[in-house]
Amino acid sequence: MSKNTVTQYWLGALTVVFLGLGGFFIVTSAAHPATGKKIPLVDVKFLDRTASRRTYADLVKAGEDLSDYDCYGCHEKGKPPPIRYDADHKIIVPKEHSDVVMGHGSHDRNNLCYNCHNEQNLLTLQVRDGHEVGFDNIPQLCGSCHGPNLRDWEAGAHGRTSGYWNHSLGAADRLSCANCHNPHAPRIPTRESAPAPHSLHGPAGTTTPHESTH
Amino acid sequence: MTPTLPPPDDKTSDASMSRRNFLRGAAAFGGLTALAASLAPLRQLEDFSSSEEFLQKYYKELTPDDMTKVISRIEREVQKEYGIRPHVRDLKPMDGVEFVYCLNLTRCIGCRKCVHACVNENNQSRNPEIQYIRVLKMPHGSMDVEKGDHTYEAKSVPEKGFFYMPVQCQQCQNPPCVKVCPVNATWQEKDGITVIDYDWCIGCRYCEAACPYWARRFNFTKPEIPKERLNPNMAYLGNRPRKQGVMEKCHFCIQRTRAGKYPACLEVCPVGARKFGNILDPESEVSYIMREKRVFIQLKEEMGTSPRFFYYFDK
Repeated sequence: MSKNTVTQYWLGALTVVFLGLGGFFIVTSAAHPATGKKIPLVDVKFLDRTASRRTYADLVKAGEDLSDYDCYGCHEKGKPPPIRYDADHKIIVPKEHSDVVMGHGSHDRNNLCYNCHNEQNLLTLQVRDGHEVGFDNIPQLCGSCHGPNLRDWEAGAHGRTSGYWNHSLGAADRLSCANCHNPHAPRIPTRESAPAPHSLHGPAGTTTPHESTH
Repeated sequence: MTPTLPPPDDKTSDASMSRRNFLRGAAAFGGLTALAASLAPLRQLEDFSSSEEFLQKYYKELTPDDMTKVISRIEREVQKEYGIRPHVRDLKPMDGVEFVYCLNLTRCIGCRKCVHACVNENNQSRNPEIQYIRVLKMPHGSMDVEKGDHTYEAKSVPEKGFFYMPVQCQQCQNPPCVKVCPVNATWQEKDGITVIDYDWCIGCRYCEAACPYWARRFNFTKPEIPKERLNPNMAYLGNRPRKQGVMEKCHFCIQRTRAGKYPACLEVCPVGARKFGNILDPESEVSYIMREKRVFIQLKEEMGTSPRFFYYFDK
């Protein structure tokens, strides 16, 4: 085999290699860089910005069923319902009101229905001095004990707000006490946390802790 | 009868098409093909996809007419990409307004709803994930962020023995990220928001390195935003879709707050831990908090960055 023939075979082989590489590059150039595992979209429940509870005022505004507030459908007018206690002097919640959890205040301190409900007129509430308060005006009632919280709420520093910070452009929508707190058990319940951040190439929560502290 | 000669051209071409010449030609062709193929990734360089964008002037030099054109270009591009006609605005800072954010550490329960409301509002990439807010889970009795964990997963928050501290762009009065930007693609506006012009950013990531709060994020790949989650209410300096190779960060929801609304993270907070407003207005809730509450830190106060983001306690 002459020297020329060897050269020609080499060049021929190189041509084939180049053409092959060229074709490979063209085919693969459209592919996106690999980002590892597909990250699922976050559940829409974590994007929900509505209030966790609806108050009497909300129901009135939305024109919805108020039968839960129709006390004299069952109770008799002018006859305050008696409160019964068990052996430990704890209130026995009647089965008609089994949805009520008695959990207002630690050490069971605020444990009497008529601390807030008006026994003379069940359609209203009352503060401790006997002052009547409507179901649609609960901040006044709650504030009669929780003064600093009422003060903060009125200033906008307590509670949830949405809408406009700039009142010349629109109104701020302030939520009321019972939109977040259950009046019978006001402590905010715990909840599920939304997913942790995913790292670029792995499942949730695999970013090394030291990265967060630079 | 004279025999006809083949045309001279054919004869020369036949003669020149020796094996050697053929192989030379093929090698040259192959080489050129490979070169062209190796340059193919250039076609994906989106910076040059539109000559209009390439020739666009610096944000502060744009006349209102220029801006109208820029906005219609962005609206066109978004519609082409996502099939949704967005409403893009260039909102300017308001007079007599300086924004301040206050976060109540007593209230925060670490549910991370703010993180995802922010992603949804501001059109961040879902894959890979870009998030402006990190919620640090911190043991009680310590303010040392080194002890914070932002990767916790919990069926039920808050967990006993911990408190939660969300961290996002602190909108510093003395922002180190702005100082290091070599092309002035990021600057502080008079309402206190440090903004980024995504069309001017060169992606050097100096700002990311300069920020002591890990608030800046880089688009390593083309952001992936599902069409059904695209927020069409956009601002030029805010939540319009970014491209590969640029920085982004929290901008106090510029598309909302400069239109008078509250930021998305504040509205979604289920416990009302987040408060936002105009510190120059003595009647605003943030002014009230500054006067009445135990406002305890500007995070990493000793850095001298003087954040407009304050953490406080209730009791």
